[in-house]
Amino acid sequence: MEKYEKLEKVGEGTYGKVYKAKDKESGEVVALKKTRLEMDEEGVPPTALREVSLLQMLSQSLYVVRLLCVEHSLNKHGKPLLYLVFEYLETDLKKFIDSHRKCANPRPLPPSLVQSFLYQLCKGVAHCHSHGVLHRDLKPQNLLVDKDRGILKIADLGLGRAFTVPLKSYTHEIVTLWYRAPEVLLGSTHYSTAVDIWSVGCIFAEMARRQALFPGDSEFQQLLHIFRLLGTPTEKQWGGVTTLRDWHAYPQWEAQNLARAVPSLGPDGVDLLSKMLKYDPAERISAKAALDHPYFDSLDKSQF
Amino acid sequence: MEFNLENPLTNFNDSHSNAFTSLFLAESEHMPAENYFQSLKSKDFDISVRRETISIISQLSCNFDPLLSYLAVNYLDRFLSSQGMLQPKPWILRLLAISCVSLAAKMKGTEFSLFDFQGDGGFIFDTQTIERMEVLILGALKWRMRSITPFSFISYFISLFKLKDPSLKQAIKARATEIIFKAQNEIKLLKFRPSIIAASALLSAAHELLPLQYPCFRKATSNCSYVNKENLLQCYNAMQDIVIDGYESVLDMASSSVTPVNVLDQQFSSTESEKTNGTITSSSTSRSDRDIKRRRIIGYCDNPTVQISRIQQC
Repeated sequence: MEKYEKLEKVGEGTYGKVYKAKDKESGEVVALKKTRLEMDEEGVPPTALREVSLLQMLSQSLYVVRLLCVEHSLNKHGKPLLYLVFEYLETDLKKFIDSHRKCANPRPLPPSLVQSFLYQLCKGVAHCHSHGVLHRDLKPQNLLVDKDRGILKIADLGLGRAFTVPLKSYTHEIVTLWYRAPEVLLGSTHYSTAVDIWSVGCIFAEMARRQALFPGDSEFQQLLHIFRLLGTPTEKQWGGVTTLRDWHAYPQWEAQNLARAVPSLGPDGVDLLSKMLKYDPAERISAKAALDHPYFDSLDKSQF
Repeated sequence: MEFNLENPLTNFNDSHSNAFTSLFLAESEHMPAENYFQSLKSKDFDISVRRETISIISQLSCNFDPLLSYLAVNYLDRFLSSQGMLQPKPWILRLLAISCVSLAAKMKGTEFSLFDFQGDGGFIFDTQTIERMEVLILGALKWRMRSITPFSFISYFISLFKLKDPSLKQAIKARATEIIFKAQNEIKLLKFRPSIIAASALLSAAHELLPLQYPCFRKATSNCSYVNKENLLQCYNAMQDIVIDGYESVLDMASSSVTPVNVLDQQFSSTESEKTNGTITSSSTSRSDRDIKRRRIIGYCDNPTVQISRIQQC
């Protein structure tokens, strides 16, 4: 790892520390993600092997953060480490939204930028899904932004299985539930690409509102936030919902007008959002279909 | 999330999705460097290193799915082409072969233990040694272990033939699979992209099995925008030698010296694995042919030294 000069620690990702670093030879700035590799009796663990090679394959999309290389090394105690070397982007969508809210000059995100960011996000998600990969933890912190070029890329992908499911991050910061789909919150055991679309919907609304749509602080509260806006789901709307593992008797709320929650969105935007937030996962729009939604008609797609 | 050579993108169902576009775009990153073929051709020594290592890989994986050894040889070629040739010391070749098989088995989710591979060749490696070799290979291959191989393109090209009869489709696929396994041993075919190998193998199979429809299939294949017509022609012609060899070897099993290290044959050594891997097993090969092949391969596995000496004669 002598190839890189660590500049600063930029975060504690769910799976380990992340550093901003410079390639000493080329001067290129990169993000180094350090992960311990639990070697077993059989050499390099199969899960790490499969996940990293999957990441390698996915990072061919422009809308997924690029994995530049993988470096294997040993720590002071001789334990094996894996450094995933990613392209570096200066900021993420959470910081970017905050910079429009918590500053001397609060202002909405330009509607054309919301549209462009959402399009790029759907492109990236469609790419992952066409490769059979679910992200499962999409949130503004995981979306890296190059604000000068107006580019958005998906990060923190695919390491779900090799590096155990994130319940708590390394800093014991509780993993956010705000973007979690209702079927996951209700304990459904086999979930699909629709879980990512729910998260995309929440992120879409958050870009338009500059604050989270469903800011719950426990799984129960999270469900109540959702039910209060979209109405308590019924068997008619979502067949089988009451048989999910964590289903209880919930207060009965009527659905509110979604447009009022996102006043800055026009009718096409609200329509797309409502399709992303369908209760029944089978009815939720796919990332690929979302790209053809009329909301994007006014976008110059030739740039993507 | 095991790796499936026929479907490297883990899970896509619509056969004409843009997922194939990414396969065509990425395939060249999963093949040996361009000069590999030249360097193998110019130095006899290099060929023998490759042959010997492939022969060890074949022994080690003869009880598994033949795709396992195909994948291991893919890793081997990419490794040799990026690292340059190794010293041809027997222990180095054995370690390299074990590590390639071990990586391939992990990617495919095949149950195995490193201990199964020990002892036979007279060398015993500890886990750390194998692990270091694995890491060396991973680095050379840039961790691109989901190899895009000719098998990744079979379903794409066969769909261009628009065959209605599923058993015909299956027969063509089975014969093309045989040819692809053989093609891996043929150094003159190493320079072609995996998609071109797949297309040529399917056309060769179609030429044998459905000669009347062949011109039509050929047209459909060369009209495909991803296919370089000139390369397809070259590859198809180069492939005819092994296709004929293949025919001869089906007709005359006893004279097996034509193809020294025949990865294809391993699929018949593991007849037990047919139930798990029915798609690979050729439906066009008769029972008795299979038995002959199986006898041959069992002898081969039992007595590697005989086989190696045979290779050296070639």
